[in-house]
Amino acid sequence: MDYFFFIDLIQSTVDGLLFGTTYALIGIGFTLIFGVMRKLNLAYGAAALAGTYIGLVVFLMFDAHPALVFLASALGSGLIGLVVYLCCFRFTPSNYPMASLLASVGMLLFIDEVVIHASHGLPYPYPSVFRDAIIELGDVWVRGDLLFVFFMCVVAMAALFWLLYRTPLGLATRAVSQQPRAAQLCGIDVTRVNMMTFGIAGVLGGIAGAMTAAAVGVLSPVIAMGLTVKGLIVVVIGGLGSIPGAIIGGLLVGAAENIFLLLRGVTERDIYVMLLLFIFLTLRPGGLFGSAQTRD
Amino acid sequence: MLEIADIKTSYGKIAALKGVSLDIHDGGLTCLLGPNGAGKTTLIWTIAGILKAQAGSMKIDSEEILGLKPHQIVSKGIVTVPENRLVFPDMSVRDNLIAGAFSRRKEKGGIEGDLEDVLTRFPRLRERSEQMAGTLSGGEQQMLAVGRALMARPKILLMDEPSTGLAPIIVEEIFEIIGGLRDEGRTIFLVEQNAHMALKYADRFYLLEQGRVTFSGEPGAVDHDEVIQRAYLGARKAS
Ligand SMILES: Nc1ncnc2c1ncn2[C@@H]1O[C@H](COP(=O)(O)OP(=O)(O)O)[C@@H](O)[C@H]1O
Ligand SMILES: [Mg+2]
Repeated sequence: MDYFFFIDLIQSTVDGLLFGTTYALIGIGFTLIFGVMRKLNLAYGAAALAGTYIGLVVFLMFDAHPALVFLASALGSGLIGLVVYLCCFRFTPSNYPMASLLASVGMLLFIDEVVIHASHGLPYPYPSVFRDAIIELGDVWVRGDLLFVFFMCVVAMAALFWLLYRTPLGLATRAVSQQPRAAQLCGIDVTRVNMMTFGIAGVLGGIAGAMTAAAVGVLSPVIAMGLTVKGLIVVVIGGLGSIPGAIIGGLLVGAAENIFLLLRGVTERDIYVMLLLFIFLTLRPGGLFGSAQTRD
Repeated sequence: MLEIADIKTSYGKIAALKGVSLDIHDGGLTCLLGPNGAGKTTLIWTIAGILKAQAGSMKIDSEEILGLKPHQIVSKGIVTVPENRLVFPDMSVRDNLIAGAFSRRKEKGGIEGDLEDVLTRFPRLRERSEQMAGTLSGGEQQMLAVGRALMARPKILLMDEPSTGLAPIIVEEIFEIIGGLRDEGRTIFLVEQNAHMALKYADRFYLLEQGRVTFSGEPGAVDHDEVIQRAYLGARKAS
């Protein structure tokens, strides 16, 4: 293997790992919601993107500071997460999973349509920070903007862990995802925990959306499909319901995607990512951290 | 006192409770016996607010509480140790106990002290306090489920078949724990298949058969053998 190819490979892996943290966040969002409700929210990626657009609106209307734009994206996505919960999950019968699944598909299409109409399907500039900063580690360059994306996503994960393991709400969330009946018997209001989980997952999705846009400096409606599909791949690889699984899965998909890009080019990249998904579905359907398939 | 009157609960079209009335007196062990499928667990879940009753009434100290949500029932002081224990498997023993005090999370202090009390009451839980609850033995999980319920400072403790699935020697231990709780003056409502053991400890008992209370009394005043036989097998014909 010649030296320059080797450097390219390292470079692709580093970039992929840094950007993979956004996939990890989306995967965590899917996993959190699945954890407490044992239901998949397919509108999650679209809601995250719509939230990111709320940040864009703040940017375009007020020419706001990037920090404010990111904040508006995160909070906006959290708010849309709550709306999705109320529309698709709160009132659908709990013993009929297909109802909320299909409702969330409807919501995915609806949100997607709204975003495409509002943006005329066109990409818009989105604030990006540390674009010109480069850290040189020998022949491998670490891009400042990607490092920022990585940093923000890691901070979001750390905040989530703090919430889950250091606060009463976190204890309640863990209790509901492990044993919802017993959680109720402990005096935990499961409906409230479910709602808070949609809000928190929404905020994480908004951060992932904002960082995805910040990494390239543009926000485009096509990102919605990417977020949804990558998020689902990440949770299949990591194991649905496992947060560490989502993190590892996100980094793995990020790195693998970039290596495929280097080796096979942009047209074939996604084929290989899907192949990776296929391999996991056949050989290890429970994912890396395959939590038990049943409960109770 | 918890007064339950004419409770009816069904699963779809199948009526599991066909008008159950019973009283749980303060300070004492009230026992509910009955064969498999009689509706004992259905009654527990109905009292806990998890299953909805179609009709009836449930009053604690004369306040109607039927129809409240499960977490509201807990804040009324009615706390359940469920069938099959249902501990949080991937949480430490300590976190399981702290989760039990969730309804008291806004209280200043008190919880740490109660945690200490529970760990003193169950030394085996103290030894394993950092261990994941899913790795405990059946008997230890049962102690944990009881300890978790005590963390809520219950006025009335409901227990659904705490001895089921445990080795005889552990069953003795669990009943000693229950007897100990009764002797502290706590109010306990115990659902049991093991009528033989339950009648030794009960102050009052009810017999539930096919969704109806068919018999009640005090253990001293009845023929244990007949009660035990009906509790295991059900009556030939329901009265
Ligand atoms: N989830 C359920 N769906 C339908 N029927 C049920 C369900 N759970 C219990 N039953 C029925 O209700 C009756 C009472 O059950 P249960 O309360 O579990 O009895 P016990 O605890 O006394 O053994 C039984 O006939 C049982 O088959
Ligand atoms: Mg039962």
